[in-house]
Amino acid sequence: MRAAIRSEWTKLWTTRTVWWALLGAFVLMAAAAGQNAIYVENGDVTTASVAVMSVTIAQLAFVALAMLVMTGEYSAGTIRATLSWIPSRGRLLSAKIAVVSAVTLVTGVAVGLLGGVIASAIVDDSGSIAGDAFKIGIYLVLLGALATGLGAALRGPVVTLVVLLMTIVVIPPLLQLPDIAVLNGIADAFPGVAGGHFLYGDADPYPPLVGLLILAGWAALAVAAGWQVLTRRDA
Amino acid sequence: MSITLEKLTKRYGPTLAVDGLDLAVRPGRVTGFLGPNGAGKSTTMRMVLGLDRPTSGRALVGGRAYDSYKWPLREMGALLEAKAVHPGRTGRNHLLAMARSNAVPDRRVDEVLAVVGLTDVARRRSGTHSLGMGQRLGIAGALLADPPVLMLDEPVNGLDPDGVRWIRGLLRDLAAEGRTVFVSSHLLSEMQMTADHLVVIGHGKLLADAPMTEIMGGHATLEDAYYELTGSAA
Repeated sequence: MRAAIRSEWTKLWTTRTVWWALLGAFVLMAAAAGQNAIYVENGDVTTASVAVMSVTIAQLAFVALAMLVMTGEYSAGTIRATLSWIPSRGRLLSAKIAVVSAVTLVTGVAVGLLGGVIASAIVDDSGSIAGDAFKIGIYLVLLGALATGLGAALRGPVVTLVVLLMTIVVIPPLLQLPDIAVLNGIADAFPGVAGGHFLYGDADPYPPLVGLLILAGWAALAVAAGWQVLTRRDA
Repeated sequence: MSITLEKLTKRYGPTLAVDGLDLAVRPGRVTGFLGPNGAGKSTTMRMVLGLDRPTSGRALVGGRAYDSYKWPLREMGALLEAKAVHPGRTGRNHLLAMARSNAVPDRRVDEVLAVVGLTDVARRRSGTHSLGMGQRLGIAGALLADPPVLMLDEPVNGLDPDGVRWIRGLLRDLAAEGRTVFVSSHLLSEMQMTADHLVVIGHGKLLADAPMTEIMGGHATLEDAYYELTGSAA
């Protein structure tokens, strides 16, 4: 397992994808935090943490990176080589998730702190940052595992990204728009919304910890699906 | 160590791509793997690597399934498609990741790069490589963990005359060292000069598994012998 992780770690840092994704994460966070902080300062929005609000935008860069670590193997045609080095599908998928998680946790916390710093420069009382930044890191790690697993299940980068965007960005707000209890309830079961309840520390409709567990459940489901497809389908 | 196929069969829908192959590829000689396009050569090689699951039967390397080894690259080195390298990654970094996946020391990377003559270009992104360089990089990967078995799909593809000659010598040397060398090719004249033993398949079925001399029989060239075997002669 250590060898598989070393190999995947080497692969991650030897293409430009990772640098663009991480740069994207910081830029998106800075832009979103600046904008949200101005809204908060103007009294248009009343939320404790600007950083948490801004993750909605910055998370897209993390999701893109995570899903590319898996789908890039198919689009670049390297999956057969990779599987001939590490034939155990479980070991390969675990190594990829471990590498994505490590990078996402460190960068996710850093991005969260950046959002906090920008917010505190604009908003007088921006609240504590460190705790939220750590929660952002955890949230992004689970989202990254979901994206990696889904990438293994679907293989194509485009279809994977579309499904992820629909699930995280597009469908939940559409469900919430009419503000009907049933539809809100369905939206609350979506991974992004559940993760949002965890990040905001909402007590309603369920405690924050339940939000985290729902997101973790989706991630586990996606990883299981990815592992199944990797094991059963020809490479 | 040998590569052994036992009633190896692969079905894609109604098509039998590989039809009950029984075969043992032995060490110490170069075994050529011949057959028309679509005969099932690449499918067979993918099943040996555990990339495609056989519909029935087994493909074994050293008596075990390739994907059951903890460090498979140390048992068998393989070249499938030459362009199996991320175009944005340098050849050297590709080999480094490969070495680390099987706990092979990093210094082996520079050793095999020297063997295949890529030392000077290995720090360029592989998207800039020619097809011939891609082949050499793939062969470097196959040699990386110094395996007793080598399986190469069309290694001569895209190589210039110098490269073709180089690989002929390399394959003969590897076999002389007692390794198992299993090579597919379309270039019959090249195979005639390289292989000691031939395996010929058509429509997924074994047509011949015999020493070169026996297959050549009274024919002037391997090409003549091949067309008689596969029945696709003009």
